[in-house]
Amino acid sequence: MALMNILNTVNHTLDHEMERDNTLVVYGEDVGYEGGVFRATVGLQKKYGKDRCFDSPLAEAGIVGSAIGMAINGLKPVVEIQFSGFILPAMNQIIAHAARMRNRSRGRFSLPMVIRAPYGGGIRALEHHSESLEAIFAHIPGLKVVIPSTPYDTKGLLLAAIRDPDPVIFLEPKRIYRAFKQEVPEEDYIIPIGKAKVIKEGRDITVVTYGAMVPQVQEAVKQLEKEGISVELIDLRTISPLDKETIIKSVQKTGRFAAVHEAVKSFSVAAELISTVNEGAFLYLEAPPTRITGFDITIPLPRGEHHFLISPEKIIKKIKEVVEF
Amino acid sequence: MFEFKFADIGEGIHEGKILKWMVKVGDKVKDGDSLFLVETDKVNAEIPSPTKGEIVELIGEEGDTIHVGDVVVKIDDGSEGANTEKEAVGEGEEKSAGVVGELSVSSQIIEASNENHTEEVMEQTTKVLATPVARKLAKDLNIDISIVKGTGPAGRVLKEDIYRRKEELNKKGKGFKEAPANPSIEERVPLSMLRKTIAKNMVLSKSVIPHAAAMDEIDVTDLVAFREESKETALNEGIKLTYMPFIMKALTLTLKEYPFFNGSYDDEKQEMILKKYYNIGIATDTSDGLIVPIVKDVDKKGIFQIAKEVVKLSDAARNKALNIEELQNGTITITNYGAVGAASGIPVIKHPEVAILGIGKITKKPVVLNGEIIIRDIMAITLCIDHRVIDGGDAGRFLSKFKEYLSNPMLLILS
Repeated sequence: MALMNILNTVNHTLDHEMERDNTLVVYGEDVGYEGGVFRATVGLQKKYGKDRCFDSPLAEAGIVGSAIGMAINGLKPVVEIQFSGFILPAMNQIIAHAARMRNRSRGRFSLPMVIRAPYGGGIRALEHHSESLEAIFAHIPGLKVVIPSTPYDTKGLLLAAIRDPDPVIFLEPKRIYRAFKQEVPEEDYIIPIGKAKVIKEGRDITVVTYGAMVPQVQEAVKQLEKEGISVELIDLRTISPLDKETIIKSVQKTGRFAAVHEAVKSFSVAAELISTVNEGAFLYLEAPPTRITGFDITIPLPRGEHHFLISPEKIIKKIKEVVEF
Repeated sequence: MFEFKFADIGEGIHEGKILKWMVKVGDKVKDGDSLFLVETDKVNAEIPSPTKGEIVELIGEEGDTIHVGDVVVKIDDGSEGANTEKEAVGEGEEKSAGVVGELSVSSQIIEASNENHTEEVMEQTTKVLATPVARKLAKDLNIDISIVKGTGPAGRVLKEDIYRRKEELNKKGKGFKEAPANPSIEERVPLSMLRKTIAKNMVLSKSVIPHAAAMDEIDVTDLVAFREESKETALNEGIKLTYMPFIMKALTLTLKEYPFFNGSYDDEKQEMILKKYYNIGIATDTSDGLIVPIVKDVDKKGIFQIAKEVVKLSDAARNKALNIEELQNGTITITNYGAVGAASGIPVIKHPEVAILGIGKITKKPVVLNGEIIIRDIMAITLCIDHRVIDGGDAGRFLSKFKEYLSNPMLLILS
């Protein structure tokens, strides 16, 4: 078992699957020769050749559009959008075509394709480099949205995404790309899409989060536990389809709920989570379900970014409010 | 010395143009401060300093083209030698392209995934099913919702269930203790209305009135004898004669000589209100809590009548049958903790009154009288005063006078 960070794991997993399945193709901006701006695809072109790993033009609609064509014709494209904020030109391809092909063809065709994109802030980047757009994709029927938070999960979820018969948006928490390492098994394993993970059981409140916020919440939980507040922490892993069962079951036990994400507050994943809690655990609630999210603004440029980001302190404060309600 | 190199931009860009310097030599910069504005094919970007320190050298003029890897700024960050990387990337790891932002890099190892090995360690607690409106109602009425029996679908606690619980509690009355759903070593008992009022009044008295206490012992041997003699007569009149009427009489007589003790203090106007009537409150211990009924115009009443009224009022207090007038317009208060066996105490003045007299239990004690040790009946008393308007000297004189009256029952009768 090797120690890897999330980036190493993405690379390792793509390598693993390209070797196993020769219909897999990997491409995107700077993906081939450079190995991607974050080096997620480094070495793949050298190993599998320019037909299976290559640079695309700077044209996101083209990247996704061509992937749709490949997928419908029997290949398995795993494309990289350099930053999730660059994906907007491809939205027509994604929403109007990728998400609908199964429905449009009355079930005759499906699109086994993965769109990988680093998402989120916290790295003091330029405009369009820090977006958290998961709610937009999750809103579209026909798309699956997956976000890992650890190297181990990255491999299991990426393999599940690649082998899924339908399009999967695979958002990678770039802030924690290299922030820590974990043991990742060499062998093949799948973490099922649509299943959340209870990271830690607790009594007093259910906290649901995902991606780069997981370590932030874990830090907060450590502090809260010292103060006697027992938190049940759930990593969503898949944004869509949502694992309602795990969340509802947990809230029925704890009676309190908070959702944490970096994406903006209104019309967000947290809003959907709270609706889910109200629908399934309404009679168990002892405090209003709450959300700890970004503000309803465009994520600031580097100098102001820290005002926007969610610190463990913010999380602690808000969770205490709910527990002491 | 930190040498800031124009970083690998990735995205196929290998050069840029310095549009504008945003610092000059000698400037102190912090981590994140912009160093210069660079123009590339794709973007104009402010390049932030990755470290804090003093600008030593700017290499190049505005308008110059710089290439990836060129040293552009030298910053004195206190380090020795030429340091070009803020964070060392682990050995064998690829470094990200420059303009993609600053990833935090660490080789910290997190716990291995416990996938498929999660243990269920939680104790199962039963949660109450209830709508928020029922929970709110329970909270407002001080009802522990966890022990309310729900009659709604699946045992849901309804508003009606909360109301029913409240009714039950009201019937059971004081002293009833809720059995907690989960036996616990603590229990929360909400205060009754009376208890809340007492609590509020006590806080007021103790926080507003600077209390001082004077204590003494009174030889009441003669009074004890006198009461013994009169008991029979009183009983014939249907009166159970206690010491209280004597104490009240003695107090009233003393008050007449020391009018400052009989009244209240107006804090706002800083005036003492002297009362020309003598209404004595009797602190009464009831099962619900302390109640202070008032015996009115004590100075105009005889011992027997006072005795009758005390009995009537304290019975009424215990049966919650007092009228509101019977609780108002007191001028001073007596508390008889001796009745429950206490030898002495320090009572709390009833705001806005300025004094309270505490009566201890009468006990037989050896005392020295005329050079001989003899056994006498002794009562310990405490006079608490509002020190804003009454001084210790007054209290002492007051007590001596009171002592004189109480130790000499004939004087009480004759006065």
